[in-house]
Amino acid sequence: MVQPQTQQRNDTLLRVRDLKVHFPILRGLLQRQVGAVKAVDGLSFDIKRGETLGLVGESGCGKSTTGRAILQIEQPSAGQVYFEETELTALSGEPLRQMRRRMQMVFQDPYASLNPRMTIGDVISEPLEIFGLAAGREKQARVQYLLAVVGLSPEFTYRYPHEFSGGQRQRVAIARALAVNPDFLVCDEPIAALDVSVQAQVINLVQSLQRELGLTYLFIAHDLSVVRHISDRIAVMYLGKIVELADRVSLYENPLHPYTQALLSAIPIPDPTVEAKRQRIVLEGDVPSPTNPPSGCRFHTRCPWAIERCHQIEPEFRDVGDGHYVACHLVDALGKFDPALGD
Amino acid sequence: MTRYFIKRLLGGLFTIWITTIAVTLLIHLVPGDPVQIMYAQSQSTTPEQIEQIRRNLGLDRPIYEQYIMYMGRVLQGDFGTTIRGNQPVLDLLLVRLPNTLLLAVTSLIITMVVGVTAGFFAAYKRGTWIDTTLMTGAIVGISVPSFWLGLMLISIFSVRLGWFPVSGTNLNNLVLPALTLGLANAASVSRLTRSSMLDVLSQDYMRTARAKGLAETLVLSRHAFRNGMINVVNMLGLQFTYMMGGAIVVENVFAWNGIGRLAIQSIFQRDYPTIQGFILIFATVVVIVSIVLDLLYAWIDPRITYN
Repeated sequence: MVQPQTQQRNDTLLRVRDLKVHFPILRGLLQRQVGAVKAVDGLSFDIKRGETLGLVGESGCGKSTTGRAILQIEQPSAGQVYFEETELTALSGEPLRQMRRRMQMVFQDPYASLNPRMTIGDVISEPLEIFGLAAGREKQARVQYLLAVVGLSPEFTYRYPHEFSGGQRQRVAIARALAVNPDFLVCDEPIAALDVSVQAQVINLVQSLQRELGLTYLFIAHDLSVVRHISDRIAVMYLGKIVELADRVSLYENPLHPYTQALLSAIPIPDPTVEAKRQRIVLEGDVPSPTNPPSGCRFHTRCPWAIERCHQIEPEFRDVGDGHYVACHLVDALGKFDPALGD
Repeated sequence: MTRYFIKRLLGGLFTIWITTIAVTLLIHLVPGDPVQIMYAQSQSTTPEQIEQIRRNLGLDRPIYEQYIMYMGRVLQGDFGTTIRGNQPVLDLLLVRLPNTLLLAVTSLIITMVVGVTAGFFAAYKRGTWIDTTLMTGAIVGISVPSFWLGLMLISIFSVRLGWFPVSGTNLNNLVLPALTLGLANAASVSRLTRSSMLDVLSQDYMRTARAKGLAETLVLSRHAFRNGMINVVNMLGLQFTYMMGGAIVVENVFAWNGIGRLAIQSIFQRDYPTIQGFILIFATVVVIVSIVLDLLYAWIDPRITYN
């Protein structure tokens, strides 16, 4: 019994347990707290070593906040994040700073995330410098190597960010994140700000780097086709919660949660005859406010199948077989979505 | 770069030239002329004698002729002599210019140190009592007129405490006028620094810097400070010229023997050559400072290139 336990432990790079990020809303002269934006409200999942976990959901559902909270760039309000055996949520100051050598982040907006008054070389070599990883000629060589890895010319070392296109800048951001040789990379919609033609390049780059360097990714995106292409497993978020988590094939072939079904039905199919027969599930209404989320299942206000129980009881996020997790009352114990369960 | 520099230099010369025209017109608009003021109390001078003196000084000619004659001499390096006392204007100005520059530079250093430090801390401690206290102080500093502040400093530090002399022109006397001029400007600099730093601190690349694993002091000094300073340097440059102007008031309050004090005296006496000389020197300093500033930008902000 002990053997598989340790085996599993070593396979898991990151464990997230009941992670919450609430932003207080302050009002009035005395800045009293009158409420909280529950951006992330209780997430639990694991990321295995070497895999890519895709995180999807619509704008404002808490995807980016989740990414930042895992890396402790945003202070979580509750819950734990373990990186191997280290509890990140218990660290601060210097010990946390040392952990940054092993986990890095590629941000969404390549136009804003690079310091405009530093050369590309300085941007990339700064992490090497502060962690004392390389200096002098060795540092220069490493910068040139990193630029080559992300497909940029080594001559760019002395240029400034504004001289580059969005795609090139995102490559710089990736090179910067890779500089310290991290194990884990959070990619926060790294392609959202890019042209479609450039998106493919960056995605291919991200994938080939994973193969070469054995990286583990949390890949945040709202483009379902991209997520399908790049992820091993996918988590679907709605209003601060994960509603479904499964490996890529199961999720796309057999979506269990009504929200996932609706999302997937929105993907156009590149075949006119099939496309013509595609059934779209159009969700009514808007996303409720994360300040005051609906009772019971958060999706019940927009769910076409919602029953009485959905209004009152929050469904448990549970494994319905083969690591397919879902939080829905209408999924039976065998992992089958069945609207008749409510009757 | 060289082309840009030459262009700026020519532009500067043009500015100075326009200033000389404006000044010549303005001083002749002020009622009374130097000869009238000089002999106003004297009963023994006949109108014929006054007319004669005026003719000798060339004041009977039309303004444009006076201007052309004056510029002709200036181009040969002759700024003329004072009407009262017959001293060479250029010598008079150049003897006093270093005093004014010393005062302005010292004030600028005070402004920079006090203003930037206060603004930076206010931004970093945004919303706390430190922020509120500093910014309330800044509002007070902006609102208080410099002559009043000067008088208050004299009354406290010179009269009551006896730490500094009341007036005069030596290093010991520099402290109070420099504080007067420096603190007033520090107030506005601190506000600009604060807003500029707040802007930078909320930028995405600050988050990137922290995510990289930079220690907080490095995040602030390397990423925040350099980016936040560009607006402030701009303002400090403008303030330097403003301080040279502000020195006119402060020099009079503290009897500091700079060109500002000389300018006031010569305006009261309608001493045309001195006023013109003063403005010419002043305009030149302003032009030089603004060119130096532009070059400084390119150094701070590598995105700026002059081609």
